[in-house]
Amino acid sequence: MRMRNTADPGPVAAVVTESAGLEQPVLAGADARAGVGGEPPAGAKRWPRARRILIPALFIAPVLVYALVFFAYPLVFGIIMSFQRFDFAAVVHGSGPFVGFANYRAVLSNSVTLLALRNTVVFTVVSVVCQVGIGLAVALLLNRKFFLSGFLRRLVLVPWLIPLLATGTIFSLLFGTQNAPINSLLLHVHLISAPVSWLIQGNTAITAIILVNIWAGLPFNIIVLYSGLQDIDPALHEAAMVDGANPLQKLRYITLPLLRPVLMIVIMLGIIATVKVFDIVWVMTAGGPNNATQLLSSWAYTQAFTNFNFGQGAAISDLLLVISFALALIYLRSLRKQGR
Amino acid sequence: MAARKGLRRLTRVAREISLNLIGVLVVGALVFPVYWAVCVALQSDPTPLITAPRLIPLHLVFSNVSQAFDAETSNILTSLIVSCSAVVVGIAVGLPAAYALKRFRLRYTAVVIGVLLVTQMVPSISLSIAFYSLFKDVHLLNSYVGLILADSTYAVPLMVLLLRAFLESMPSELLEAARLDGCSEVRCMISVVTPVAVPGIMTAALFGFLGAWGDFLFGLTLNSGSSVQPVTLGLYKFVTVYNNSWGPIMATVVLAAIPAAVILSIGQRWIRSGLRAGALQ
Repeated sequence: MRMRNTADPGPVAAVVTESAGLEQPVLAGADARAGVGGEPPAGAKRWPRARRILIPALFIAPVLVYALVFFAYPLVFGIIMSFQRFDFAAVVHGSGPFVGFANYRAVLSNSVTLLALRNTVVFTVVSVVCQVGIGLAVALLLNRKFFLSGFLRRLVLVPWLIPLLATGTIFSLLFGTQNAPINSLLLHVHLISAPVSWLIQGNTAITAIILVNIWAGLPFNIIVLYSGLQDIDPALHEAAMVDGANPLQKLRYITLPLLRPVLMIVIMLGIIATVKVFDIVWVMTAGGPNNATQLLSSWAYTQAFTNFNFGQGAAISDLLLVISFALALIYLRSLRKQGR
Repeated sequence: MAARKGLRRLTRVAREISLNLIGVLVVGALVFPVYWAVCVALQSDPTPLITAPRLIPLHLVFSNVSQAFDAETSNILTSLIVSCSAVVVGIAVGLPAAYALKRFRLRYTAVVIGVLLVTQMVPSISLSIAFYSLFKDVHLLNSYVGLILADSTYAVPLMVLLLRAFLESMPSELLEAARLDGCSEVRCMISVVTPVAVPGIMTAALFGFLGAWGDFLFGLTLNSGSSVQPVTLGLYKFVTVYNNSWGPIMATVVLAAIPAAVILSIGQRWIRSGLRAGALQ
């Protein structure tokens, strides 16, 4: 594999350049012309029209069927569940008695749901702001050419490649034990006077899971922002330097405006990925202590799989779904706008 | 004149040194938790409540790793089987679709792409609540097939989207020439497009594999027993049961991160091109 890869770098490079230019046609429908391109093949003489429609359909059919069976149907089923009293008996039976909006009323009048919603918003906003901010700073650093920059760029990916559950496990040890490095570091620089049991108290626990999530999301932000920086024409910076711009002015008037499209994408993808985080919080706190770190995802899980109240679990996860789809819509629209 | 030149040289050296230093500090801080996990895994009885592990392990001890390996062998196998199969499902469903999107200029291309982009944003918890009930009906709970299908929800949209972006740069003349030579569409896909698309397939396969390997929620919700237990679930159970034997726990973390290490050493360029294509489309 490696041999092939070094011998044949063309297509990969092509993907890179191509994907950068891909923003436009995908959603603007620029290439959505009707009919089939090119000459009709030799075998197409009989029923040319039928073949023209049928053959592409046969190639597309698997993915459409797949999307229907594994996305559309479960999502619709989840919505139906949220209107039923879906307890364990209903799981065995396949459906439960219809209860109207009772699940949604119960869920929305439960203070834990509101807490989970608030936590999800705080978790997402703080995570994404810090990820993009720190990510940009590190990307700017790695964008400078120095002896170790290539090696460090490689190393940066490590936190992102390990399973989120492994990340959560590492940090439950780092935060959860009294003399783990985090406490000893903070003690050493006199920020705290006694070891803190981070995951036992509500406000330190949510701080901890936010920090962990920032850590887990940084590599993606760094690498994507780094490739965005690489696309900026160095001649612009040279021209600015000739004009006597200082580094801060260059950042403010050249780098940031040109990086804006990539920044928008990173922010949107960050939000979409963060609202549904589950693994980290589940292994570190399971939503505790006393629901202080409950997110919509973990709360939906708790209702469905711990309390066997699938109806309310589905109602909570549908709330999450609505939030995700609203964000997705904003994302797709901004992509389309960029395409114009 | 010479003094000024010397000064300039000095500042350049100073800048080079400080950049390297800052870079090492920043990235070092970022990677430290993983390094620390490895240190805990490779030392004898580093029960952190009593003694802190040394940051430079002088006496490497492999008992934790071998203990974790014994406990996790079957889980690692399960994860491997499930993740590879999910990738195969991704290729089987995704390759024809990507081929069709390239080969035929379809009116509904934008719709297909839009739908697939949106499916990537569906929270796994929404799917797993529905999957639990649906899979129970068709007896797919606690089965390899069930977990493979659930995990393929990472791989399939990814395969179509990345491959489409990849094939976009392939010259259409190649396809048309093959068609004029009397190549059927299926032959054309297998023997003309696939060889060219191998790097793209590798990128998408790699990401699909990582998605399935790292999956925890489907593994947790769709399996009640331990017959089909991926390594993430094994790790989770280990943490909840032996929450103080950190040596073996961190050894299990290291095992769960092995694919990451492998990919990091051989698949760098695929990761980067995939990250870009995925993020920028």
